[in-house]
Amino acid sequence: MNALTKRIAAVLIALISLVTIVQNGSSAQTARGGADIAVVVHPDTPVSDLTLSDVRKVLLGERQYWNAKLPVVLLIRAPVARERDVVLRVIYQMSEAQFKQYWVAKIFRAEAASPPKIVYSNDMQYELVAGIPGAIAFMDARNVRPGLKVLRVDGYLPGDREYPLR
Amino acid sequence: MRRAWIVFGVVLLAGVAARAQSSPPVDQAEQVRVLLERIQQLERRVTELEARQTPQAGAISAANEPSPQLRAQQAAQAAAATGPGQAPHQHDVQEQQTATVQQMETHFPSLQIRGFGDVDFSATDQKGTTSGFNLGQLDLHLASALSHKVSYFGEITFNAQPTGYTVEVERNIIRYDYNDYFKLSFGRYHTPIGYWNTAFHHGAWLQTTISRPEMVRFGGTFIPVHFVGFLAEGNIPSGGAGLSYNVGVGNGRGSIISRPGDAGDNNDNRAWVANIYSRPQRFYGLQLGASVYRDKITLAGGDLREWITAAHLVWTKETPEFLAEFANVNHRAVLTNLSTNSQAFYVQLAYRLPWFERSVKPYYRFEYTHTPLSEKVFTNQDLIGSILGARYDISSYAAFKAEYRYTKHQIAEPYVNGVFFQTAFTF
Repeated sequence: MNALTKRIAAVLIALISLVTIVQNGSSAQTARGGADIAVVVHPDTPVSDLTLSDVRKVLLGERQYWNAKLPVVLLIRAPVARERDVVLRVIYQMSEAQFKQYWVAKIFRAEAASPPKIVYSNDMQYELVAGIPGAIAFMDARNVRPGLKVLRVDGYLPGDREYPLR
Repeated sequence: MRRAWIVFGVVLLAGVAARAQSSPPVDQAEQVRVLLERIQQLERRVTELEARQTPQAGAISAANEPSPQLRAQQAAQAAAATGPGQAPHQHDVQEQQTATVQQMETHFPSLQIRGFGDVDFSATDQKGTTSGFNLGQLDLHLASALSHKVSYFGEITFNAQPTGYTVEVERNIIRYDYNDYFKLSFGRYHTPIGYWNTAFHHGAWLQTTISRPEMVRFGGTFIPVHFVGFLAEGNIPSGGAGLSYNVGVGNGRGSIISRPGDAGDNNDNRAWVANIYSRPQRFYGLQLGASVYRDKITLAGGDLREWITAAHLVWTKETPEFLAEFANVNHRAVLTNLSTNSQAFYVQLAYRLPWFERSVKPYYRFEYTHTPLSEKVFTNQDLIGSILGARYDISSYAAFKAEYRYTKHQIAEPYVNGVFFQTAFTF
């Protein structure tokens, strides 16, 4: 490696360190608030408790089957909905653009045949989760209705102080 | 070179102008948010009205023991549901629900087509080369679920040549999923050696940089980029380690060393490949893995055994993005037992800046390839080089990239300076 290359690499590392410090400072000030987001599934789904990492695996398409006979059907609210914001921020840890790119790449890599289904309202979400075996969705805990199964995440339910999705 | 900088300026200005036109106004997003809130209010109101009319029983699934807050909310819902209402609209509601579910259920086959394209400009100070524009690959990707357990994936490229276009079937795969732990597919793949070859395929828009590293270059020979045969893949139950695997058997390299023997194997020996990688739960974004590939290559001068070992370490988040890959290719002549080892690696670092709506990502890549003079299978591929560039995402589906490259291919040759520009997109 010659001197010029070393110099370029050093400048780049210094720039990245600076940006990381600035960004960490600003993200630490970001306030968190709002109602809990419940993870709801079709009542016949054979799970009742997932870790946040398990939820992430499902959302990333790394876990595509609840069991050999029951595929996961992933439902996600359309952009701008708060449920989607929370899912992208807490679980995916991606921006809207990164999320779109992630699913384009996922299908392009032949790791999934289709992206998550987009739902436009809570009513639609409720109907689909209740009607499609294997469906999983994320909804404001205040809008959860009877007939859906609410999953524990890391052992907590919406309303618990330690519940991670808010 | 001066002209190249003028072109860069024009491209940059075009990007800024296009971005100014394509950025949605802030108040439009606010309007959408207000409308969505209004929909939610109306939905709550409808729910309340339905609850008064329809006696509902039960609460959230018995599998859960709801928290006190949620229990209180459900109790309120149940109380509202005990009103003396009838269910005149229940049938209509059920029909509507069934229609929504039917509409959203996957129908088979469900073909999706996505395209990728790029247009490039290059200028270098290498003697005998000319600067200019060229069309990159036009890439069509097909994905179709044939049933809940069977899927088809295809990739076709159109490549600009001096006398026209060539069409190439890059991937052609049918896959049967048993579960997350075992998926079996047949067809033509990008060989699962290392990371890049199966992460970005032919979509220039997906990769940060303009070009692939030399060790996995399309049309290159360092590793067999394509593979025809079958592949088993899936997750390995491994807790937080997040292990996954690919194991495959196929034709191996063909008579033309860069091709995989699409129309049949050129010897009676199958190649095999195994790849294992980990995505640890504790470090979301990290992937590390190792691959091995074994083949027998038949050349005019005799047979050689090929043994490729590779490893990769990547951090896929973009703050920062880090990709590093290494491969060693061992060729051993069957008759003489003489062997050679060629090595290649690259390290790429990028960072998506927090400014300009996170649309700019500068990057740097260092790559190195060494092939000994006694190497029999491929010609000398020595390379040492650096790439410094930036990617500017003009929208969620299109990007401009600009790169400066400083590379040297042979020991006796001088370093070559070059500037490269690309607009890459998906549609």
